[in-house]
Amino acid sequence: MTSPLTPSTIHDIGYRHYEGRRLGRSYVIRSLFVHNLRAVYGLGRPARAKVMPFLLVAIMMLPAAGSVAVLAITKEPSTLIRYAAYAVLLQPIVAIFLATQAPVIASRELRFHVVPLYFSRPVGSFDFVLAKFAAFVTAIFALLATPVTLLYVGALVTRPSEETQAPAMPSVGAQTTDYLGGMAGCAVFAFVLAAFALVIAAFTPRRGFGVAAVIAVYLLSSATVGLVQFIALYNNNYDAAGWAGLFTPFNLVDGVQVGLFGASGSTPQGPPDGIGGPVFALVCAAVVAGALAVLYGRFRKAGLS
Amino acid sequence: MSVLELHQVSRWYGNVVAVNGISMTVGPGVTGLLGPNGAGKSTVIHMMGGFLAPSSGGVTLDGARIWKNPDVYRHIGLVPERESAYDFLTGWQFTLAMAKLHKLPQPGAAAQRALALVEMEPAKDRVIGTYSKGMKQRIKMASALVHDPPVLLLDEPFNGMDPRQRLQLMDLIRRMAAEGRTVLFSSHILEEVERLASHIEVMVAGRHAASGDFRAIRRLMTDRPHVFIVRSADDRRLASAIIADGSARSVQLSEGGLRVEAVDFRRFTWLLPQLAHKENVRLWEVSPADESLESVFSYLVAS
Amino acid sequence: MNATIAYITFRGMLGRRRALLLFMLPAVLLLLAVALRITGNNDLNISTIVLQRFALTTLLPLLALIAGTGVIAPEIDDGQIMYILTKPIPRPVILLTKLAVAIALVVAFAVVPTLVAGLILTGGTAGLAAGFTVGTLVGGVAYCAVFVVLAVASRNAVTIGLLYALVWETLIGNFAPGARSLSIQQWSLSVTDAVSSASTVTSEVAFGLAAVLLVVVSVLGATLAAVRLRTLSVASAE
Repeated sequence: MTSPLTPSTIHDIGYRHYEGRRLGRSYVIRSLFVHNLRAVYGLGRPARAKVMPFLLVAIMMLPAAGSVAVLAITKEPSTLIRYAAYAVLLQPIVAIFLATQAPVIASRELRFHVVPLYFSRPVGSFDFVLAKFAAFVTAIFALLATPVTLLYVGALVTRPSEETQAPAMPSVGAQTTDYLGGMAGCAVFAFVLAAFALVIAAFTPRRGFGVAAVIAVYLLSSATVGLVQFIALYNNNYDAAGWAGLFTPFNLVDGVQVGLFGASGSTPQGPPDGIGGPVFALVCAAVVAGALAVLYGRFRKAGLS
Repeated sequence: MSVLELHQVSRWYGNVVAVNGISMTVGPGVTGLLGPNGAGKSTVIHMMGGFLAPSSGGVTLDGARIWKNPDVYRHIGLVPERESAYDFLTGWQFTLAMAKLHKLPQPGAAAQRALALVEMEPAKDRVIGTYSKGMKQRIKMASALVHDPPVLLLDEPFNGMDPRQRLQLMDLIRRMAAEGRTVLFSSHILEEVERLASHIEVMVAGRHAASGDFRAIRRLMTDRPHVFIVRSADDRRLASAIIADGSARSVQLSEGGLRVEAVDFRRFTWLLPQLAHKENVRLWEVSPADESLESVFSYLVAS
Repeated sequence: MNATIAYITFRGMLGRRRALLLFMLPAVLLLLAVALRITGNNDLNISTIVLQRFALTTLLPLLALIAGTGVIAPEIDDGQIMYILTKPIPRPVILLTKLAVAIALVVAFAVVPTLVAGLILTGGTAGLAAGFTVGTLVGGVAYCAVFVVLAVASRNAVTIGLLYALVWETLIGNFAPGARSLSIQQWSLSVTDAVSSASTVTSEVAFGLAAVLLVVVSVLGATLAAVRLRTLSVASAE
């Protein structure tokens, strides 16, 4: 009970105010980015968090290493796995990586209701989402680009010194152009796959449930599209088969590789000629933008409660 | 009348020894298992509850081995530390399911009785996920009591409870003991144990540090030399007065104040203000330097 | 079998969002079957592809993984398994009940939809629907047994299960035919082949061998899981 005579006051019992310089927005984003990137690979966490991501990286490297070894022995250029085809070929492993690691980025803070703790500090909700997204994109890019780089380096190292030696290997210039195209492809893959997996994981915060949800959506979409493409090709309907590729992430990005980067297709049917490539690219951009918007909404709402 | 017995029990995880050669007998009444965090209390309770095999030694209930013997659960009610029950069931569904799992002849009546015992009847039709911490603790108690077991094992039952819930639970535990049950609960808070248990078992770093009557052990704990940090207007003058009085074993003068090792805890705390008053020295701060539970335990273990 | 454990497990599995996922998976199969039937793309060849690629190799392992790990792994992770283990019930009964629930879910959400989709597509032609129903049923039992033992033995059960189903059975199986003889998918296909008279179903593993291996894997999985559950130590520190 305060009597009306005693004025209310907050006693200064020694609160300390920070008067120094603050590091600002870019520092916040960078810190969150690094933290999330390390979290994807279990760095700074117990050993059992590292097992799965690094096991998957190792499995991703195996076919590349094998392919380079075969190339070194046979000197047959066709034995080298095509750069642009690598991600499509190993998509089950990439999908498992997405399924197990996307919840690390997008589910954990929601599950334990700690998002408000971030937003009670000078962290904007969009910066928060952007840092998470960028971290996952980087992690996937590393997963995809490392084995492709191994292929490229392997191809250069095992080149016979005699240019005339048969069968002819593609020139260094051609190799490099292909490689850069492959890298661009890996980047598009990283953006689209991160968007796809993070959105699903952000809505399935229960333990173990996010993994199942991401893999289920991937498997269902790829199996359905595979069937539709098979039936369309069976009926000689090439356009329908091409457009069907829009509905599953790996075919979608491969369509961009075919349509814009001039790679040969790695799926049963690439995008239709002409407007196919640009449409696939636009859909990719829309997926990424849409995912950022959805994640922003999701985390902002979680931050209010 | 049920008796839990640990005989030379050790448990190690790889190279880490969690529990080291413990023997104890827990009989009817309330027994407090006291120890700082990481002392091995949960490991002991898990072995008593049959969730862990002792690496060596034996854990028995009335002579029957507990490990790999699900039949002992007819006589044991266990309340685990982890908070989560089946969040998607209501309190009534959960308690009834536990009664049925015990294959009780009248599961409905047993569940009703258990819920009444913990005073959870008004909330029994709500989903457990919506309960407060104290309610969750009580519904877990109800599930452990549903088969009227002679032995109750409670792992950190007071964690996260507010004072009112704490009192209710203490009351419940006392009632259980008064009915002749063997109740064992673990805690790292001295005060909780003091108010509940006459008999305590103290664990420190996996070892059995003390066992017996609480008050006797409490005296052992307070009769050791205590170290205080004293800051005053004139440390030097106060120091000579303390030394002259002889109630301290040693006095050190340093930048941060006086470091006094008192021989008799009670006498020193009673004497110091009087000394200061007499010498006209103003006391700024008197703080015990080693009053944490850990240091009390390490003293017990060392002696 | 214990009805109370089964009740709790079903309640846990059919919680809101999880149930949505369970319903969504077979719904896609049925929609696809209806769409193909309406557009007239339901000859024996296409129907076989749908049932084999979609029902047997995608839907079945996925559902078995969700059900097989879901019936027990979350309870071990969150510690609720203690409430069941602290009852005078033999551990093998607990495990068999959990396994039965997983199998029941797989039957409801994968085997029955496969039968319905098969009937929509082909009716009774060449026993195709019957073949795939039996194939998914026996395969489902084996998958569940394997995934339950994984769930009891490892905290990474879902990932290991995915590696087995997607990488070993599908990816490696596509390149190395040898891997196919050690795959539940191929054994189920062999059983399907034996039941159905359709020439479009071909399998690489002989029926007798496949049947024996399916039984061995199912029994072995259930037994190992029961043994492991008998000595399940609940981690005290997390």
